[in-house]
Amino acid sequence: MAYSELIKNFNRIRDYMREFYVYGFKSRDEYSRKSARSYDDEKRRLESWLGDYMQFRQTPEGKTVFLSIDSRVSRHNPLYAAWKTKSFTDGDMTLHFILFDILHSPGTALTLKEITGLVDEYLSSFDEPRMFDSSTVRKKLNEYVSEGIVVSEKRGKTMYYRRAEDGDLPDPDVLDFFSEAAPCGVIGSFLLDKADAHRDHFAFKHHYITGAMDSEIVCLLFAAMSEKRSITIESINRHKDRLSENRVVPLRLMISAQSGRQYLMAYVPRLNRIISFRTDNIASVRPGEVSERFDELREKLDGMIPNMWGVSTQSRSGGRMEHVEFTVRYGESEAHIHQRLEREKRCGTVERIDDHTSRFSADVFDSSELVPWIRTFICRITDFSFSNKALEAQFREDIEEMYRLYGLGEVAEDDLQ
Amino acid sequence: MIFSELYSTYYDTVARVLKAAVEHPLKKDELRDIIEKNAFGESILNIEPALAEGRWQLIRPDGSTPLRYPPSTPMTTLEKRWLKAVYADPRIRLFTDEDIFPGIEPLFTAEDYCVFDKYSDGDPYDDEAYQKTFLLMLDAIEKRYPLSIDTANRKGGTARLVMMPEFLEYSEKDDKFRLRGSGCRYGDTVNLARIVRCEPYEGTFSRAPRTRLRPRTQKVEFELIDKRNALERVLMHFAHFEKQAERIGFDRYRVTISYDRDDETEMVIRILSFGPMIRVTAPKHFIELIKERLKAQKSCER
Repeated sequence: MAYSELIKNFNRIRDYMREFYVYGFKSRDEYSRKSARSYDDEKRRLESWLGDYMQFRQTPEGKTVFLSIDSRVSRHNPLYAAWKTKSFTDGDMTLHFILFDILHSPGTALTLKEITGLVDEYLSSFDEPRMFDSSTVRKKLNEYVSEGIVVSEKRGKTMYYRRAEDGDLPDPDVLDFFSEAAPCGVIGSFLLDKADAHRDHFAFKHHYITGAMDSEIVCLLFAAMSEKRSITIESINRHKDRLSENRVVPLRLMISAQSGRQYLMAYVPRLNRIISFRTDNIASVRPGEVSERFDELREKLDGMIPNMWGVSTQSRSGGRMEHVEFTVRYGESEAHIHQRLEREKRCGTVERIDDHTSRFSADVFDSSELVPWIRTFICRITDFSFSNKALEAQFREDIEEMYRLYGLGEVAEDDLQ
Repeated sequence: MIFSELYSTYYDTVARVLKAAVEHPLKKDELRDIIEKNAFGESILNIEPALAEGRWQLIRPDGSTPLRYPPSTPMTTLEKRWLKAVYADPRIRLFTDEDIFPGIEPLFTAEDYCVFDKYSDGDPYDDEAYQKTFLLMLDAIEKRYPLSIDTANRKGGTARLVMMPEFLEYSEKDDKFRLRGSGCRYGDTVNLARIVRCEPYEGTFSRAPRTRLRPRTQKVEFELIDKRNALERVLMHFAHFEKQAERIGFDRYRVTISYDRDDETEMVIRILSFGPMIRVTAPKHFIELIKERLKAQKSCER
């Protein structure tokens, strides 16, 4: 098939965008093991959509392509562009604008026959007018009914079609802000495309934009949750390069503001457990039957939250719960460290031991999830204790390894002598 | 479906073309200009011929259109459901008290998702004084007038700043808004929650020298060893910065990240959080910052 700037299926480009944006070090050879042409086409598309952000680097392994975006500077998520690239037929485009011109006023309700006749009239001024039969027009109108932009109503035996009532667009500030700060923000970006030109008033710090690529999946998960439906998810194991299917009850989307990852917390009947699935690993969502246990399962998840640091619901040590605690020391002008503990803890308790010492402790399903956070206090950790002793040993060894990495290990040995 | 031609850049661009054509027959240059401004880099190769050759029968050869009205499409149900969900977000009170679309189900509710690692001392979005300050700032940014701002400092006192507000910066991690402004010698960032008084500055605003907002970009370079899935974790974690990554060995990578000088301490602790999977290699002063922390840690263990 000839190259087209537009695409029919989002999943392939989703993978390429992730590779170019998150990783960005692979050469063409590494991507093109499956298909060199596919790589060239996807790269060309991304250059066309996101040209300003595409960068190239020559390495001994070949030319590498990557997307480099400082999301603090770009006021809108550039990756949303990919969601605006769906292909269509020539007829789709022609019919769309003519239909909404015919149905310009919400008060105009017409039959299929009347609409088809008017479409012919619109096209009669072209040298070789296209002909749309009534079944094509009906199909398009019904598509628009399901999207909520056309309303159909039966009068007697005849179906009438009219434009749906529209609402006013919110203030552009609302759209500018929430298109970046709310889930499925790409929908806000669609609305912004309809808004008048205006100045942006917002910028975003610590702003992860990768979740945009999972918008369709997240939208389907929300739809299933609002109907309390089971779903079948197809997920990718990237390490094993394998797809697997799971029937689950979706319970909540957990979004990380510190890593940009999004997870689905879901009950898996096969395991009789609530576990997490990364949304960027979910390839498809198929809705199933309504789950009678939805409310009970969500309540169960609520009960688990006080013992979850992240999204893990199972300890690595095999125990039901793991205990972790650590103590930090701070100086006269560092009282904010205690505040930091309070502000940043997601569960557990912070105890002020004295004016210069505070202790954090928690019982969690998986204490390994706390390790990165505890490391941020390196320079003031006076004591730490994990009930998972293997993890405790690893934590200690990691700090030793850091001393060695920065040439501080030998000094310690000298000190011991 | 989110992935639909209804939301596509091509439909949007053609709507703009037709809006102009309803007013007057379009000249080729005008058509090209609209396409180049609104569509993708290569779109001109598709949209212009599709319209000119009559594959999309919307523009006649003389540049006129059979359409009678400027194109408009009503909001889809998906768009209304998303807006309905947004209007239930506590932060919407910063913009409006109105409700929207009665009878429409929100796409999601507060029960359906949570940001599990944002800090717990977020801004007070339901506080009336905070809301007033927020709206005043939006107005001042739009209309370009200076503000006089009293902020509470850590010592319990207040400090007065006069600045030209440029934009509001939101951090989801901190769940805070900050005003970024210019022209003030005492800084260019004010936490909204710390403001105790804010009003339009009535005096003659004279911009202090060298106080324009400009990027203060620094770079840090580190080597990464891909153990315990560190490659993915690190690159995802630092994804929001401008960065470059290259493979330098079987499981080793060199990563360069550009960051704001003001955020250096935060950058240090974010790098420390990856433990021995990361070794900073440049610049020297950044290596020293890491070493200082490690030395201090050593002293804690004695």
